[in-house]
Amino acid sequence: MSRLRAEGLTLGYDADPIIRDLDVTVLDGKVTAIVGANACGKSTLLRGLARLLRSREGNVLLDGKAMADLSTLQVAKVLGLLPQSPLAPDGITVADLVSRGRYPHQGWFRTWNDRDHDAVARALDATGTADLVDRPLRALSGGQRQRVWIAMALAQDTDLLLLDEPTTYLDINHQVELLRLLRDLNGRSGKTIVAVLHDINLASRYCDHIIAMSGGAIVAEGPPGEVITAELIAKVFGLACVIVPDPVAGTPIIVPAA
Amino acid sequence: MTATATRTSPATAATLRATRRHRAVRAFTATTGLAAAVAALFVLTMMVGSFRLTATEVVTSVLHLADNPSVDFVVRGLRLPTALSALTVGLALGASGTVFQQLLRNPLASPDFVGITSGASLAAVSGIVLFQVGGLAVCLLALGGAICAALVMYVLAWRDGVSGYRFILIGIGVAVFFEGLTGYMLIKAELFEARQAMHWLTGSVGQASDDELRLLGGALVVLLPLAVLLSRKLRVLELGDDTARALGSRVELIRAALLATAVLLVALAVAVAGPIVFVALVAGPIANRLLGPATGGIVAASLVGAMLLLIADLVAVHLLPTPLPTGVVTGAVGAPYLLWLLATTNRRGAGG
Repeated sequence: MSRLRAEGLTLGYDADPIIRDLDVTVLDGKVTAIVGANACGKSTLLRGLARLLRSREGNVLLDGKAMADLSTLQVAKVLGLLPQSPLAPDGITVADLVSRGRYPHQGWFRTWNDRDHDAVARALDATGTADLVDRPLRALSGGQRQRVWIAMALAQDTDLLLLDEPTTYLDINHQVELLRLLRDLNGRSGKTIVAVLHDINLASRYCDHIIAMSGGAIVAEGPPGEVITAELIAKVFGLACVIVPDPVAGTPIIVPAA
Repeated sequence: MTATATRTSPATAATLRATRRHRAVRAFTATTGLAAAVAALFVLTMMVGSFRLTATEVVTSVLHLADNPSVDFVVRGLRLPTALSALTVGLALGASGTVFQQLLRNPLASPDFVGITSGASLAAVSGIVLFQVGGLAVCLLALGGAICAALVMYVLAWRDGVSGYRFILIGIGVAVFFEGLTGYMLIKAELFEARQAMHWLTGSVGQASDDELRLLGGALVVLLPLAVLLSRKLRVLELGDDTARALGSRVELIRAALLATAVLLVALAVAVAGPIVFVALVAGPIANRLLGPATGGIVAASLVGAMLLLIADLVAVHLLPTPLPTGVVTGAVGAPYLLWLLATTNRRGAGG
């Protein structure tokens, strides 16, 4: 059984919902990419799955229980989410920021213990940010900064991790590095990862499963090799294209048609 | 990751431990140092004046260790209330200001700028002008005014939760509105009441009565520890609402609790001493300079507030040729700081 799924989910900010009656199942232990055109409801779905947005109708089920019945802390111990543009207080250091990921494991009075230390150290090591601990966040490059934020989400020590457009604003090298990091995290600990991504070629290369959305609904999902077709790209993005295999990995690559 | 291969986890854990220890030591040293400075200033304000006393005389008299009627009269009767007022008002303003700034994620968001202080001023001035009240009644009116202003702002800023930005903008609007009404009240007032109102509006630690001090002192005993306890929750709220929620924080509840605590603190301080400007604005940033960036020490900020107000009072009453209200001194020192803050935050592109 899947640990995270949604049934009949309706989500939205105003009177007109963005997502209507949507069913989705997140595959355990896989890296899933949610792709789609701008404003198709990708981020909304991700926020709904992490309960940052309350469902109007339907349920998000975490380990079989309706998330609405769980406390925010219970959810935060199992499911982490890194928003698209998190805020950092001025001058905060890497060590301080990553340590704040331990919040759901600390009560009102409980002080810092060995488990917290280990979790933060592991997160820093896994993201290659251990050398940066004393540096202020704003002194880092975009790629380093994004890895630090992922370290914070890792310190939360959850089995599921959702990321909202983690590669936006990064150059190609850092995008690849970040997706390799996600792959690596998944491979090492079997962590379930869901990321909203814009670059379908990179998503196909580094993810196990692709969910394609259009107009607030899921139009296709499955392994990249099966899902990414010229018809789908035309339908979802309105782009005429040819699909060629990636010369290195054989995964689909989109080439715009003449 | 290739970068991780060179380091092993125990080494990282050790670095992390060292970093945390270093931070804890720095925070402890700075806070203790501040507490000592505040204690020293507290005694010093009671030593100076036309009737000079030694530190021993002041301390023994305050603690009721010796019996010397003339010293006791000067210390306990005349100087202790002012010193206590500067201490408690400063503690309250420092803590409140830093909570506001961290909660609204903006160094300009101190309660004097977002309408709370002006709400208190409007209520107090209205009381003085329309009903000729004084003393404790003015204090209670100011308290009520500040709390009402905060409630109005909270309701106006609410849209599926309160965002920091909207709260600040509405706060500034509310402040201007209240200041306009206060100006109108002053124009309508008779000369005697207008003078009284103006005096209150300048802010002074010397005007507190025993009842007011007891009220503020009692509230501090409850509210300061509460603010410190809640500030642990602030560490994740600072990362944005989504991140905080994803980390399991009940964002709206914690924000409402923190706002309520900070509003009560500033409301009580203004009620006792009038609108003493800039202390709440500068206390937090100074504390951060001492503790290290983004540490957000509430106790340290609170102590900085007390220190600033005790110094301002010393300067206002003893160093200047004619004694002035404390608010004039804090304003004169605070205004250049505000300009500097505006200039530097804009340069970094983080202003507003």
